[in-house]
Amino acid sequence: MKNVSPLEVAIADLQAATTTPELVRATKNLCNLRTIEAIPKLIEVLGFNNPAVASVATAGLIDLGSQAVPSLLVSLDEKNYGSRAWVVRALAAIHDPRSLDLLDYALTTDIAPSVRRSAARGLAELNLIYPEDSLKLNRCLLALLTAIKDDEWIVRYSAIFGIEMHLLKYNSKNKNLCILGLKQLSSNSEPIKVIRLRATLALQRLNPS
Amino acid sequence: MNDPSTENINQPLTEEQVIENLRQTEDLSDQYYAAWWVGRMRSRHPETLPLLLAALQPLHCNPINNERRAVALNAIRALGILQERSAEKDLRSLLKKNDYSIREESARSLGMIKAKAAVPDLCALLSGDPDEAEQLQSGSSKLKEPYESVLEALGAIGVASCSVISMIKPFTKHSRPLIRASAGRALLLLTGNPTWAPPLIELLQHHDPLIRRGVLLDLGATGWMPALPAIQAAAIENSLKLVALRGLAEKSEDPSVLDAMDALL
Repeated sequence: MKNVSPLEVAIADLQAATTTPELVRATKNLCNLRTIEAIPKLIEVLGFNNPAVASVATAGLIDLGSQAVPSLLVSLDEKNYGSRAWVVRALAAIHDPRSLDLLDYALTTDIAPSVRRSAARGLAELNLIYPEDSLKLNRCLLALLTAIKDDEWIVRYSAIFGIEMHLLKYNSKNKNLCILGLKQLSSNSEPIKVIRLRATLALQRLNPS
Repeated sequence: MNDPSTENINQPLTEEQVIENLRQTEDLSDQYYAAWWVGRMRSRHPETLPLLLAALQPLHCNPINNERRAVALNAIRALGILQERSAEKDLRSLLKKNDYSIREESARSLGMIKAKAAVPDLCALLSGDPDEAEQLQSGSSKLKEPYESVLEALGAIGVASCSVISMIKPFTKHSRPLIRASAGRALLLLTGNPTWAPPLIELLQHHDPLIRRGVLLDLGATGWMPALPAIQAAAIENSLKLVALRGLAEKSEDPSVLDAMDALL
């Protein structure tokens, strides 16, 4: 009898699954193997147009961390919109600096506010080192500064979170520009109250006095 | 990137163009978009209010042109978002129209405007015995009145008189979970009495995700802080939890809600 590996079993189960609970369970089993060999299949699952299953696969990819990044970056060539959103979410959560270009692009161009929201958070949390990565850090900050003008409140919210986190961690020559932007978002020229509240909180944390 | 909605991003209309589109009635799809836009962008142009009110006029014609009715529905929503107090009288008169959706949107907008004068009109829509409130309109899944938006509006307006409370209470026993939730939301807002909260928290476990989503937003809108852990733990996507927490944050102004939102971004 031929030896069948746990990976082969998990993939066969996934291929045989038809209902959402079956798909979720099979995807969970695949994630629990914690092997880079599961990555292509997990990325394929993101394109099934099934949020319950995709969120499990995304969590599995995030657990694999930087090992999953090269495949995730390439998988964006696909034209599947749904999977693109999950790929951005996974990359934002993994914090690998190789995702910078992709997150920057997603924040500027993606149609879905939830994707731009994830991308903004991702740009604030990349594992970059000051001062070695100053150029890249500055690119992240400038992208976030543009995003505070986004039409969608949740993207502006995420950008405020990102700018606050960035300035608390790193020195920046653009600090004054950021403070100016936050001040505007905390004023009555900003129509959404929760944005004014969050910008005010960020200013308090950045300028304790 | 060939989604049609990106065209609007590439060539944004100016406010002046939108106002012109709202004024004209030759291209009703342009007018429809303009009526939505002024609300979405919170236009404070001096022409916005008179043009939105003018867009309601076709509702008083008989028969009502279908496309003009669609423009008017957008105008009603925009007047609510813009919190145009001076639209109160017009919106109140629309609560008496023989059109469910018009009554539904007008009630919601009156709630956003916090129109105290509309409370008796809104309560009138809740009157009748409980059986009447369960009856479907013939050939439709709609009930007699748009109870959810009426209850929501009464909660938002905030007149907590005994008569208002007693009009709302029977709806906490309605057979439809989302109507029970709207009633609970209104009572929690009006009375601040936590006994109205547990049924809402329980509905967050409902097997139907549509009901879980609706109740989540209701809980957020109450500003009732003890609901925070239940909202965080609900089996609902982060995007919607963030909308619910926005409600909670704006109502309570408690910074711990902002920390909870940060964690879900």
